[in-house]
Amino acid sequence: MLKTETFTLNMGPQHPSTHGVLQVVLELDGETVVQAIPNMGYLHRGIEKLAESRTYAQFIPYTDRLDYVSSMGNNLGYCQTVEKMIGIKVPERAEYLRIIMTELNRIASHLIFMGSLAIDLGASTGMMFGFRSRERILDLFDMACGARQTYTYIRFGGVSADIPSEFIPALQRFLADFPAMLDEYHRLLTGNEILYHRLKNTGLISGQRALEIGLTGPALRASGVDYDIRKVEPYGIYDRFDFSVPLGQVGDCWDRYIVRMEEMKQSASIVTQALEQMPEGTVMATIPKVLKPPAGEVYHSIENPRGELGFYIVSDGGTNPYRLHVRRPSFINLQVLNETCQGLLIGDVVAVLATLDSLMGEVDC
Amino acid sequence: MVGKGLLEGMRVTLKAFFNKKETLQYPEIKLTMPARFRGGELELDNKKCIACGLCARACPNHVIEMATGTDEQKKRHLKSYVYHSGLCLYCNYCIEACPTNAICWDKNYENSRYFKEELDVDCLAIAKQKSAATTVDAAQADKPNAEQEDTLKRREKDE
Amino acid sequence: MQEITGLFKIAEILRDILGRFLPNPQLVDICMSLINIGAIFTIISLTAVVLVYTERKVSAFMQRRSGPNRVGPGGTLQSVADMIKLMAKEDIMPAGADKWMWILAPMLLFIPAAAVFVVFPFDNKAIFADLNIGIFYFIAMSSQSVLPFLMAGWASNNKYSLVGGMRTVAQMLSYEVPMVLSILGIVMLAGSMRMSTIVAAQQHTWFIVLQPIAFVVYVITATAEINRAPFDLVEGESEIVAGPFTEYTGMRWALFFLAEYANLLAVSVIATTLFLGGWNGPWLPGWVWFFLKVGGMIFLFMWFRWTFPRLRIDQLMSFGWKVLLPLALLNIIVTGIGMYIYEFFS
Repeated sequence: MLKTETFTLNMGPQHPSTHGVLQVVLELDGETVVQAIPNMGYLHRGIEKLAESRTYAQFIPYTDRLDYVSSMGNNLGYCQTVEKMIGIKVPERAEYLRIIMTELNRIASHLIFMGSLAIDLGASTGMMFGFRSRERILDLFDMACGARQTYTYIRFGGVSADIPSEFIPALQRFLADFPAMLDEYHRLLTGNEILYHRLKNTGLISGQRALEIGLTGPALRASGVDYDIRKVEPYGIYDRFDFSVPLGQVGDCWDRYIVRMEEMKQSASIVTQALEQMPEGTVMATIPKVLKPPAGEVYHSIENPRGELGFYIVSDGGTNPYRLHVRRPSFINLQVLNETCQGLLIGDVVAVLATLDSLMGEVDC
Repeated sequence: MVGKGLLEGMRVTLKAFFNKKETLQYPEIKLTMPARFRGGELELDNKKCIACGLCARACPNHVIEMATGTDEQKKRHLKSYVYHSGLCLYCNYCIEACPTNAICWDKNYENSRYFKEELDVDCLAIAKQKSAATTVDAAQADKPNAEQEDTLKRREKDE
Repeated sequence: MQEITGLFKIAEILRDILGRFLPNPQLVDICMSLINIGAIFTIISLTAVVLVYTERKVSAFMQRRSGPNRVGPGGTLQSVADMIKLMAKEDIMPAGADKWMWILAPMLLFIPAAAVFVVFPFDNKAIFADLNIGIFYFIAMSSQSVLPFLMAGWASNNKYSLVGGMRTVAQMLSYEVPMVLSILGIVMLAGSMRMSTIVAAQQHTWFIVLQPIAFVVYVITATAEINRAPFDLVEGESEIVAGPFTEYTGMRWALFFLAEYANLLAVSVIATTLFLGGWNGPWLPGWVWFFLKVGGMIFLFMWFRWTFPRLRIDQLMSFGWKVLLPLALLNIIVTGIGMYIYEFFS
């Protein structure tokens, strides 16, 4: 009687498609996955512990480095948490600028998702196209705050500086070109039958299971659950904009891909509306030079491109936080890898990892 | 028709084949950085610096090491100013904190070094060298071709 | 002994010169064979160098970049620089590798890639050996390239290589069958397996007009046979990180690479010969048409690689057995019926 055994294949920390340093220990029966256990921690930098020895304002640059491709979102989450703790009111122009920057960053982050998905599945042209468009957004950010990826633009009480005069014409040019770019990606990738068959019906996560495990972000919405913090508990001035939240039906990789492509279109529409409605004014409220929030704890969360990013701060009345914890969406979304990948083939593991869109900087913190 | 999406994809890449290329031929053509670009090393203007220490205190990562002293007129001056560029987060807090605009970025993005020690920049020494050079230039200002040299230097600095 | 023709008139000239110096006609034949072998290896090396550069430029242009443009005028010497770099690399053998199998695998892969060059018709009467089983010889020799992949995968003592090797065997064997059947349609039309007869039969109409389905099936199966995207999951870089080639460095890896590009040229030449009329064409000399058509086919294969993502192993297998094989069989039935009706009416 022949006996077969499973063998352990190590999709190690150095691998072209684990989106950073993630180790996935695969137990395979031939080509079928029996278990896929993610092993993280290779990028751990102790950011939460560092927060205890920095003042509240000094911690903002560190939040950039959490989910380093959507830094504006991280900055926004942290600043709004501290503003909630102290009770600062942000001027109108600053609110609109924050919305513009965050939504542009959402587009940039989803372009990275699209590019990485394309190259993981073999279509490297898709990655080049996606990153080329993202360069336009990074140039805009460079113009506004001087950095391309770690912005530190959003501060307590507003934003650090008003936008220069050449920003708005450049932004309008980008918004005019963006639908054509999106159309090119749809023609190259979304219409492609090979991509469709690779992603359809693989990596199914039911809505029920997604809610149980704490999945958030586009992965949750692809499973059919209509939960977007921008609509459910609007923060900032999101209630003034008219946008729809794309939903998927079955929660497979294809739905997660389509939801993110649609979200890019919705973000572009939000930026257009914000540009029209933006008033003149100051961009920074007056806040005390030395911040000493009252003792207590606060939790605030925002809708980052990867999910619900939450900051939980415990303050003891001093200049440094007593404890700061980041509710990182990529970390919590990654738990679902093992149960989703059971019974799939190795190629599907790559597709599931790419569509869960976890960023290791955020997973490891 | 089966395969229509594949043919669409092929049409996209064929069109891209004949489009303009986006490559920048790097050492021959260099991009100019935007005005607010945060990068390179800190450039100190030691005439404007009042040695208040706000930049070092604002820095999240203790990147600026400065030593101050008081001279006979009870005026603070700078004794040493070292910028550890290897630790810097490029967050701009020091420049925003400075009340006299004494520090700024030198916008040079080609600053790789061979040795780790060269990452620690002695900003005060560089500032003093530069001010010595400009006083020499000012002394030669009455010479006929000094103006051409000055504009040449300024053009080089801008590039 | 088969009729051995030569390339252009060079072969005849060489034969005359040698005949004057050497006493024995058999000795002349032996010398000519050695010269032919040397010519084939030269063609393969030049092919690899030119095709590597072409691939990089084509992929760059499709991604709106410039590709290599520093080394040599327009970057043309880039492949030479790469070859020199590969030759200078350290030769590492993994511990626990099955030594002789590991060393032999790239060499055994290179041999069929070189051996099929013998039956390529570059021009009228310009084939190294016009065998009367020409196309059958090509199929037989190219099937030999399955085994060295498995050897490399097993002998490397590496799980990634093993997975890659197993995938290769499955893929290449599955796609041999539709490829042979699509070629069978052409053989039925031409009435012979000899390459020169097949090309001569296309003087008025190219076979692609008469056998479009066979052309499509052939192009797809050829892409699978040479392990290029969208069927490149053997070396699917984002999953199994170069598959059976993972443990090879330097010149050994260069041999794999050479064999891959020689294979690309081989299937393009066969596609040109069987479907696009070989060296037939007005005004220009035959070999110019030949190279233009081969260049077009190579561009087509490169176009596929840089546009499409790759297929999963189970999708690949089901596509080969459930879609391509019935299509190829249907093509043969329709061809047979068509030929019968044609003879009935004429």
